[in-house]
Amino acid sequence: MTSYSKEVIAELVAGTLPWPQTRRIMSAYKDDDRFFKYIAVLQDRVGWKDKILLPVGDHLFICQSGEERVTRCECGHSFGDYRRNWKLRAAIIVRDNEELLREIYPNSDLPDPAWMEIREFICPECGTLHEVEAAAPGYPIVHDFEPDLEGFYREWLGRPLE
Amino acid sequence: MSVSPATGISQPIVIGIDAGGTMTDTILVDADGHFKIGKSATTPKDESEGFLASAEDAAEAWGISLESLFSGVGVVLYSGTGMLNTLLSRTGRKLGLITTKGLEDMILMGRGLQAWADYSYADRLHAVTHHHPEPLVPRRRTHGVTERIDQFGDIVLPLYEHDVHAAARKLIADKVDAICIMTIFSHVNPTHEKRIAEICRDEVAKAGADILVYTSHEVRPVIREQSRLNSVLIEAYATSRGRRQLKGIEDVSKTYGFKYGVQTLLSFGGLTSINHPRLHETMISGPIGGILGAAYVGKLIGNDSLICSDMGGTSFDMGVITRGQTRIENEPLMDRFKLNVPTLHLDTIGAGAGMILKVDPLTRKVSLGPESAGSDPGPICFAKGGTEPTIADCDAILGRLNPDYFLGGKVRLQVDRARAAFKEKCADVIGVGVEEAAEGMIEMLEADANNALRRVISGQGIHPSEFTLLSYGGSGPLHLAGCSRGIGFKDIITFQFAAAFSAFGCTTADFMRRHSVSTQIDIGAKASDGALVDFGARVTSIWNELTRAAVDEMIEDGHAREKIRTVPFLMMRYTGQLEDVEVMAPLSSVSSAGDMRTVIEAFEAVYAKVNHRVSRYGEAGYSITELGVIATADKVKPILVRRPLGKSDPASAHKGVRDAYLGGGWHRANLYEMDDLQPGHEVSGPAIIEHPATTLVVHPGDQVFVDEWTLLHYRHG
Repeated sequence: MTSYSKEVIAELVAGTLPWPQTRRIMSAYKDDDRFFKYIAVLQDRVGWKDKILLPVGDHLFICQSGEERVTRCECGHSFGDYRRNWKLRAAIIVRDNEELLREIYPNSDLPDPAWMEIREFICPECGTLHEVEAAAPGYPIVHDFEPDLEGFYREWLGRPLE
Repeated sequence: MSVSPATGISQPIVIGIDAGGTMTDTILVDADGHFKIGKSATTPKDESEGFLASAEDAAEAWGISLESLFSGVGVVLYSGTGMLNTLLSRTGRKLGLITTKGLEDMILMGRGLQAWADYSYADRLHAVTHHHPEPLVPRRRTHGVTERIDQFGDIVLPLYEHDVHAAARKLIADKVDAICIMTIFSHVNPTHEKRIAEICRDEVAKAGADILVYTSHEVRPVIREQSRLNSVLIEAYATSRGRRQLKGIEDVSKTYGFKYGVQTLLSFGGLTSINHPRLHETMISGPIGGILGAAYVGKLIGNDSLICSDMGGTSFDMGVITRGQTRIENEPLMDRFKLNVPTLHLDTIGAGAGMILKVDPLTRKVSLGPESAGSDPGPICFAKGGTEPTIADCDAILGRLNPDYFLGGKVRLQVDRARAAFKEKCADVIGVGVEEAAEGMIEMLEADANNALRRVISGQGIHPSEFTLLSYGGSGPLHLAGCSRGIGFKDIITFQFAAAFSAFGCTTADFMRRHSVSTQIDIGAKASDGALVDFGARVTSIWNELTRAAVDEMIEDGHAREKIRTVPFLMMRYTGQLEDVEVMAPLSSVSSAGDMRTVIEAFEAVYAKVNHRVSRYGEAGYSITELGVIATADKVKPILVRRPLGKSDPASAHKGVRDAYLGGGWHRANLYEMDDLQPGHEVSGPAIIEHPATTLVVHPGDQVFVDEWTLLHYRHG
């Protein structure tokens, strides 16, 4: 029923849509074709040809790369097979002492590094910060999620993946 | 409006015009209480066009020319939307602000509720939709100056005048149109604000600039700095264009021979000239007319407990008069800014004939609005480009609206088009027949309004059987039956002039001024006689000062001193409470302990009336939070004509039959012309009573009785 033009969705994604219109979209029922328009807008934005299947971060996508499905940064850098935790192939900054934590909390209280550390996952090619996680020291790197792409496309979008 | 010329009636004496968001309504009244109404689309760019078109429509209905209309009337009342539009479209003046150092971010922070006020309940719950209104002054044109006055009015830090000079020069260099000044606790002691204004004016004069200076204590010396700030900003921001619009209305009236000044309506229910010094007090005026009209009708029918309900295209407004008491809202919202302008209290829900209907394809959940199709593009049946089905389309599909007589035939309703779109977008999605779906939608709207009425009444703590419901607005009578069913009102009344009832209400108002100031007077429960005398002296001296100011303003407006009546009032609460009640003072001055006790008794009486007798709590002591004076001067008012009841058969108003879908089935409904109904007539449902500007649906089993004032009483079967 509800549907917006691709231009509107592009402005929504870019954050340039005027607020009253953004709010109307927020308050209305979800537009049926939003996902595919959203993907199309993202596809226009990235500089590579692989088909985006699912965005997993602001600048991070699972895409079809030949026979493979890989997690790819907006810059084109590949983190490998999407079923594997992409974070393991990222550049990581671990903030586990007072000095390093102070860099990001210059004016406020700090978390206790004996209880919590902050890990930043960065694209080794373009330097985009893709994800930040806070975990207890020694806790393995969190695998955020492994999407069921086939099931999502077939059952939720009604358009099975070839 | 194509109504036959009024024969045998005299010259109108009052023109009341109410420009709403979509339509400008006019009502003409003569000395014998005859009415004619006119309607035209509101023209926000130049309101005088819509004003004139609407007046011409009414003049035509009366059968006279615009020249003879304007040269003959004594009062032209106009309540418009110019200032509100200036605010909504953010097209006002360029402002600068000087405030107490440390409060510079007050504008950006605002009040939390300003981020979600006016939102639907669902959006309120979803904080992601919350958003503060666009500020009227950017942070870079806000300057803090060192000074501090405490809550008792004592100067804690002196004013650093060099800060003020620097700020003023900076704002002049920024080419602002106006400088606003708001310092904390200026309502207790305005010394610093006055001095800042002086310095600013000096600097402006030195620079040879044309910049106005506004101070918050002059706009309204009342506690709560955020509301006081918003009031002074909006006064500075929006009123110049509003004043220009009002001047335009006056000029147009004068070219057609009007001899006096145009009057406009204050949010607390009085009239003032368009030269009113605090014009933002006229911003929330449109719906206020309805409450005034209700009070007037209440006097006629001898019931002082009334609920007035106004249903238009977008909203359903409810006002309450409980045993003669109207409620004053002291901090109303205007475009989501909290102001401190006293306003007659209204409850509003989103419910109107223009509401867009939506059905969620996944869950088949139906929702109404909150968006409204307005008048442009309007419902589908208007055939002006609307594509979303609305309640009005349902009314047309079910035969409740006459496709050939909407706005007297000016708009021909395209029922087939509405039906096709409604079937595709709503009925088929839900999986039921078109009529059943359409009636279901209407029932949902009416149930929303019905629940809102019940909620408002239960808040009064009085049984519904004490209240008379007055229903008006373009779509009020159309949905009256469903809105009022099962509540058990004492009486339900609608009007031949329902579509212009707010404009009618404006014509019943008097000229008025309301001056008040915040106070902090705490009277212990066991205060001695000597203490009471002292309290009384303080109260009296403030009243005297306010009376002088109010009377001077009215004299300046051209009212004779002997015609001006003044009544002092107090805002009081039991010490420690959060809300106060408005008490009309029983005495004009308090000169003894006995007098002070009389005032306290008056407060307790009002408190018991508004709440309940057992909720009085004198042991806590009494606090006077605000003292004020209302000055009024009489104006000629319309009178409704009382005529003897005739025979009950309404055949003389009968104009045909039409199929209408009511209560789950099609009926042959009798059609009546509303203006032809006479006192004594009784119309039995199923019937539809039509007027060019409104439609009253009488459901099967229900009845409408026309009384001696030609008011229409709706009786549920």
